[in-house]
Amino acid sequence: MSRAGRLARRWRDALRGRGVAATLLLALCLGGFVEIGRGLYIPAKAAVAQALLDHAFEASRVDHRPRKPWPWADTAPVARLSVARLGVTRIVLGGGSGQALAFGPTLLPAGARPGHAGTAVIAAHRDTHFSFLHDMRTGDVVTLQPREGKLLRYRVTGTSIVRWDRYAPPDDTMGERLDLATCYPFDAIRSGPWRYVVHTEPL
Amino acid sequence: MPHPLSLRRALIPAAVLAFGAPVALAVEATTAAAAADRASDDASADEGPATGTLMLRGQDIGRSMPAVRLGTDIDVAVSAQTARVRVVQAFRNTSDKWMEASYLYPLPQDGAVDSLKMVVGQRVIVGHIEPREKARATYEAAKASGRKAGLVEQQRPNMFTTMVANVGPGETVLIAIEYQAPVGQANGTFSLRLPLVAGPRYTPPHTLGTAAAVADANAVTAAPVLAPGLGEMLNPTSISVRLAPGFDVANLVSRYHRVNITGPLGDRTIKLDGSVPANRDFVLEWRSASADPTLGLFAQHTAKGDYVMASVTPPADTSSLPTPPREMVFVIDNSGSMGGDSMEEAKASLLHALGTLRPQDHFNVIRFDDTMTRLFDHSVAATPDQVDLARRFAGSLEAQGGTEMLPALKAALADAAIGGGSDPSILRQIVFLTDGEISNEREMVAAIGADGGRSHVFMVGIGSAPNDYLMERMSTIGGGIYTHIGAPGEVAAKMMPLLDVLSHPAVRDLSVRVEGGSLELTPSRLPDVYAGRPLVLVGRTDHLSGTLTVSGTIGGKAWKRRVDLASALPSPAIEKVWARSRISDIEADRALGKLDDGKADAEVERIGMESAIVTARTSLVAVDETPSRPAGARLTREELPINLPAGWDFDTLFGQAAAPGADDAQGSGDSAAMQAAALELPQTATGFLGLLGQGLALLLAGLAGFACLLRRRAA
Repeated sequence: MSRAGRLARRWRDALRGRGVAATLLLALCLGGFVEIGRGLYIPAKAAVAQALLDHAFEASRVDHRPRKPWPWADTAPVARLSVARLGVTRIVLGGGSGQALAFGPTLLPAGARPGHAGTAVIAAHRDTHFSFLHDMRTGDVVTLQPREGKLLRYRVTGTSIVRWDRYAPPDDTMGERLDLATCYPFDAIRSGPWRYVVHTEPL
Repeated sequence: MPHPLSLRRALIPAAVLAFGAPVALAVEATTAAAAADRASDDASADEGPATGTLMLRGQDIGRSMPAVRLGTDIDVAVSAQTARVRVVQAFRNTSDKWMEASYLYPLPQDGAVDSLKMVVGQRVIVGHIEPREKARATYEAAKASGRKAGLVEQQRPNMFTTMVANVGPGETVLIAIEYQAPVGQANGTFSLRLPLVAGPRYTPPHTLGTAAAVADANAVTAAPVLAPGLGEMLNPTSISVRLAPGFDVANLVSRYHRVNITGPLGDRTIKLDGSVPANRDFVLEWRSASADPTLGLFAQHTAKGDYVMASVTPPADTSSLPTPPREMVFVIDNSGSMGGDSMEEAKASLLHALGTLRPQDHFNVIRFDDTMTRLFDHSVAATPDQVDLARRFAGSLEAQGGTEMLPALKAALADAAIGGGSDPSILRQIVFLTDGEISNEREMVAAIGADGGRSHVFMVGIGSAPNDYLMERMSTIGGGIYTHIGAPGEVAAKMMPLLDVLSHPAVRDLSVRVEGGSLELTPSRLPDVYAGRPLVLVGRTDHLSGTLTVSGTIGGKAWKRRVDLASALPSPAIEKVWARSRISDIEADRALGKLDDGKADAEVERIGMESAIVTARTSLVAVDETPSRPAGARLTREELPINLPAGWDFDTLFGQAAAPGADDAQGSGDSAAMQAAALELPQTATGFLGLLGQGLALLLAGLAGFACLLRRRAA
């Protein structure tokens, strides 16, 4: 008898008369696979979305019109954010639903518009698009290329850790600013009340 | 029968689930708890990148006054173009223990230490030169046997250590060393620099590869820095200078210290007004009351041969010459050691230099601490917009972090190919603004030697006590000049002459010829010479005769200066100056990879022994023959603390206590919230790692259940 056949018989023997147990265990394993799949889907989606967004952003730079990265998207790219020192480039999405965060950093509608007085705030997930915030430090230069208009350059002035509901960015009397926000701590598994904010001011 | 059995079997997965789920949950709970802990701890620590820890490896803070107090008296005699300096260090033991003290201090980088005397009570013990390891052994043997001993070692050409052993309770031991150094000269101004404190040095971690490298780094960072606010004056120093340069002195200025000046014009005496803490360089500058001398020629006849020093100055007036297009790369150091006045001086200097860029010039700005940022990817045209951007970039710099200078230097040098193009008519200049407080000087020089290309490196030494050895070496090998800015008020005055030099190329096709005799000349590699700055040549020969001709092209016009060597004025200092210059050549060859370590060390040791001067390979040691410490009495060793150089910021350097920072963070957040409308930050964690973890835990639990079933069946 072949080796595979022996193994199959052993399995059959082992499980004979234990239908309930086997079914439960099988369900447990399947549940595990589903969870892992869901887990892997998130970073994959984040990466693919950025590639599509990049394409859409380039196109909209050419024809100066907002352009959806894929037909059913409820948001459009508004700017390209880069940090040369870390070799990082991200396409920033404008507003949209909370789902937009899954695809890229989002410009918070409550904040100012980049290049205008007040603080523009860009938020993204700490474990995908904004994991690099962890490595940013004072003096880093952040560039933001809006869909229209000239390239904006900012310099990191500091970082802070605030509660999600205790964050008050400088208002328009303080001039133009850009804050990058994400969740904190970076390697936590559960989400918590803390947010990590990188403060920058224009060069 | 099957019923109870299958029921029991069914319990297995249930049990597995009961165990497995908590495990999965526990994993989450602990990470979450740990993360929460971190959040509360780090709220303050993560305010900004940590300072202090990065900056100073092994450099301690002196929290109390030392048991052995040191007083220094410096006596200088300037004649012709050399200064003879006697430094007397008085080590006074204020404790009731037998002490050994070690003191780290700077000397001019081109000084040659040739004499050590130790004074114990009424007795004077004269030191002698020995190879470094042998001198150390002599000292250790004397120390162990209870005899007084003094040892002077060179850690860097501008950084020395004096060690003195077996100083009894209440006793004072004097260590007197003597050295000579050439007097500096630029644009008709002569200068004498006496460094008084060695600033704390940063050691790049990558240089600590071998035990020898660690020992070397430890040697230059051994001295603790006295915490400010102890209220007492540490290492008081008095200085007296007798200035008889052979001409009437005019415009005599002490740059950073109050002095009293007496005596006739040709023989002035300058005394420090009281004594000062050793916390910044003493600089004296003077000019000749008559025309600026453009030639200095001195010789010394010894049994070993004749030595000659010639300093030839090309004409200073370049105002009629056009300025070629330039590509200027400014490199500015914003590491922790620059905190305080230095950062302001560096910024002001950079702004000043940016102001002189013309539209046809290209430029770039690079800042570094333990990271670096290039303002532009490569050099850009100096349009008003770009210059404005650079101004704002410079204005926003803050001092913090370590001093990783090598990557910044490499970036500045590497830009060459892309930047202003390879057009040879474009002058490529790198202006490096730093205090140079690093321990890997050799690496820097090697980088310039390897990648220098057609870049000219101009060093601007910032602060009250910059590392002038690094500055001098980098600018000489890099074909530029070294400018020191020691006080915020000096920026304009010091940057002007530098910018003047920057707007004109060096003397081209420089050559030196000796006729009617032979000379072994140093430096062997002719440096770049700029208008108004002398080319200093030191030579050795069996019998001095013939003529020396220096020639070149300045702004398209030929320039030549012929010197009759036999007309040299006698000076007793030239032999030592020659030895020191020769060692500089060897060290340059070593850094540039032309000489291996073994050969270089042997050659330095040979010259050191022959000329009886302290070098990296030779030390001066003095041993009292009479035992003083009774057998059985313990000897306590102490590293004498040093002052923080004037204008440095202690907190930036060593970091502040974490606690006040935490309060601030909380406080500022609260006040900001009152001023402005709060903005809710969205939930920004996908938690995909959590999902992966849960999935894995479930899968493992299921598999474990199956394994259990199989084993049961097999049994």
